[in-house]
Amino acid sequence: MSAFFDAWHYDGKSAVRRKVEVQIIGRQFFLLETERRHGPFAFSDVEYVTHKEDADVYGLKGADGWRLMLSGPVPTDLNAMLPAPRNYGGWVDRLGFGKAAVAFTLASAAAVAVVLLSPQWLAPLIPSSVDEKLGDALVGDFGGRFCSTPAGDAALKKLVASLDAHPDDLQVEVAKIDMINAVALPGGNVILFDGLVKQARSPDEVAGVLAHEIGHVREKHVMQALLRQMGLAVVLGGIDGNSGALVNNMLSMSYSRDSEAEADAHSMKALGGANISPIGTASFFDRLSELDGSASSSTSDNGIAGYMSSHPLSRSRKDAFEKSIVKGKNYKPALTPTEWTELKTMCTQDRKAKSGFGFDFN
Amino acid sequence: MYDDLSQRHSAFRFHGSWLEFARIAFPNLLLTIVTLGIYRFWATTREREYLWSKTDFIDERLEWTGKGMELFVGFIMAFLLIGLPLIVIQLISQGLIFRGEAILAAVMTLMMFLLLFYLTGVAYFRALRYRLSRTYWRGIRGGSDDPGFQYGVAYMWKSVVGWLPIFLAVPWSMISLWNDRWNAMSFGPHRFSATAEWKPLMKRYLLFYLVPFLVFIGAVVFGISMAASGGTPDTLGSTGMAVGAIFAVVAVLSFYLFLPLAALAYYSKYFRLAVGGLRLHNLEFDFRARAPDWILFFLANMAIVICTLGIGYIFMPYRNWKFFVDHMEAYGEINIDDLTQSETVVAKHGEGLLDAFDVGAI
Ligand SMILES: [Zn+2]
Repeated sequence: MSAFFDAWHYDGKSAVRRKVEVQIIGRQFFLLETERRHGPFAFSDVEYVTHKEDADVYGLKGADGWRLMLSGPVPTDLNAMLPAPRNYGGWVDRLGFGKAAVAFTLASAAAVAVVLLSPQWLAPLIPSSVDEKLGDALVGDFGGRFCSTPAGDAALKKLVASLDAHPDDLQVEVAKIDMINAVALPGGNVILFDGLVKQARSPDEVAGVLAHEIGHVREKHVMQALLRQMGLAVVLGGIDGNSGALVNNMLSMSYSRDSEAEADAHSMKALGGANISPIGTASFFDRLSELDGSASSSTSDNGIAGYMSSHPLSRSRKDAFEKSIVKGKNYKPALTPTEWTELKTMCTQDRKAKSGFGFDFN
Repeated sequence: MYDDLSQRHSAFRFHGSWLEFARIAFPNLLLTIVTLGIYRFWATTREREYLWSKTDFIDERLEWTGKGMELFVGFIMAFLLIGLPLIVIQLISQGLIFRGEAILAAVMTLMMFLLLFYLTGVAYFRALRYRLSRTYWRGIRGGSDDPGFQYGVAYMWKSVVGWLPIFLAVPWSMISLWNDRWNAMSFGPHRFSATAEWKPLMKRYLLFYLVPFLVFIGAVVFGISMAASGGTPDTLGSTGMAVGAIFAVVAVLSFYLFLPLAALAYYSKYFRLAVGGLRLHNLEFDFRARAPDWILFFLANMAIVICTLGIGYIFMPYRNWKFFVDHMEAYGEINIDDLTQSETVVAKHGEGLLDAFDVGAI
């Protein structure tokens, strides 16, 4: 079989443009110039390159810059041997634009769903040794900022023991930092900031916040949040810059609200089990939101923003604690007055503990 | 076969239409959204294929042969080699601050910054190299055998030297780096030679540099003349206040007006000088856009983006390329027989680094 067709050709070795005839011989072809014959070339090596002006441009595998440019109606026998033009790229062209768009949407939704939901299942699978090592690496001795006095330690220990069945896998410390905040970190580390302890009006308030943070530890929220953040960073890495970060924050924020509700529930249960009244925690939230409202006028609003940003305060949270009060139940204070004074003054008494946050905070 | 360019109107001509481009850009936008941004590498490639194929150099269209997959692989590499280590380093330094080792954390952050600085330079270089190696004209491409690692070092020290004398040597560093970049590039068998000078750029730079001072001086002169014409100081009163307010507003406005204008005037001169210093064998280049052209171009871009509520942003690649090609000019002659294939290596991956740092074109 042999057929001829006019075309333009670059051999990829020089920039000379050649008018050629395509001579098809089976699965191969020659390019005929007036005095030269190029080839044979195999049709299986021909690649689609691009479309320009009125011509489809083909290249040849392994021949840099080799071009065959066909314009006008191409004979069917030649057309049948050539690769199909590329428009959107491999997958989209194969599926068609509409189907591909739907498929991509579903795949993206599935990927985001996996990243958002899987941490709940994955977090408990992370061995506790990894969790502990991470906690140790992150916290260490907290730069010598942990406060310690014999009586204060004993009071704290009693408080933790009353709120949790396995106090041994928790490391609860008070840090000499004048901010109203408390954090749960990997490895069962819970840190109460001295500013929060000092600001509290009763041991019941501290007990409520502490039980909330223990809730984060027990529900594995810290590891979940870490996994989720990492997953979102990978999945949304394709979106550039700010929009990605924004979506990321919004998604992880909405999930942290769920975690907060879970930790609150844990806290109320623990308080109930320890016979501590939740009214203290409710009034603590109440005072915080008041402080927030009048932040500019209050002089001691040191770092309220810290607790607020990680623990969005809402009426419903306060109401939930108020509702969990059981009427007629014989609540007793979380600590005796002496224990409470010792815990409250622990950081003042412990002169060895360093204060503040290095260079970041005063 | 010689092609004498002096008889032609312009060596570069653009034949694209924004309607055709829209048929590429809108599906691109949709696919990019439903793939959480991953399609944008293929989107960029499709846009370039179109823009290149609509661009004439003398008597033949350009060809873009880059692949979306190359850009994607480049992005993944940048993420694994830079993004992930950065996240880890950030985590570690956060832990260090937590533990009070602020100095160590600061040192690590500084090292990270220096590494990024270096890689930004390398990225500029490699992006240019990638673009030249994927641009074909008459089956011939460009490229470079230099991996750009030395350019990264030059980028660091020349930038710093540019900033040191209260930013007065910035024009020198910009021109010098442009020359470094282009002197390493080639097209076909010919090496580019870039010999742009920085001294003619200084006047424009000083204009830009002095705008804040000029506005301030203008305001003072204006104020004094107003006070002088307004009579004795005790008659100023409320009208004086009003005049003061007005010219404060004028000063702020002119600052925001003149500074971008001066910046564009500087950039237009920079680009004209930089391109004007470029040579490829017997070809000389010229960029004919002057400051008013640049200003109109940017005002039109802003108007398009604002009037379309941001959607017009997808036309910016088209507008940029059209502006670039419409004002590019080449003089001299090309010997087509001498223009043989480039022997430079072809990197397998795309502009990943550049993409990761979000650095613009050219
Ligand atoms: Zn919480």
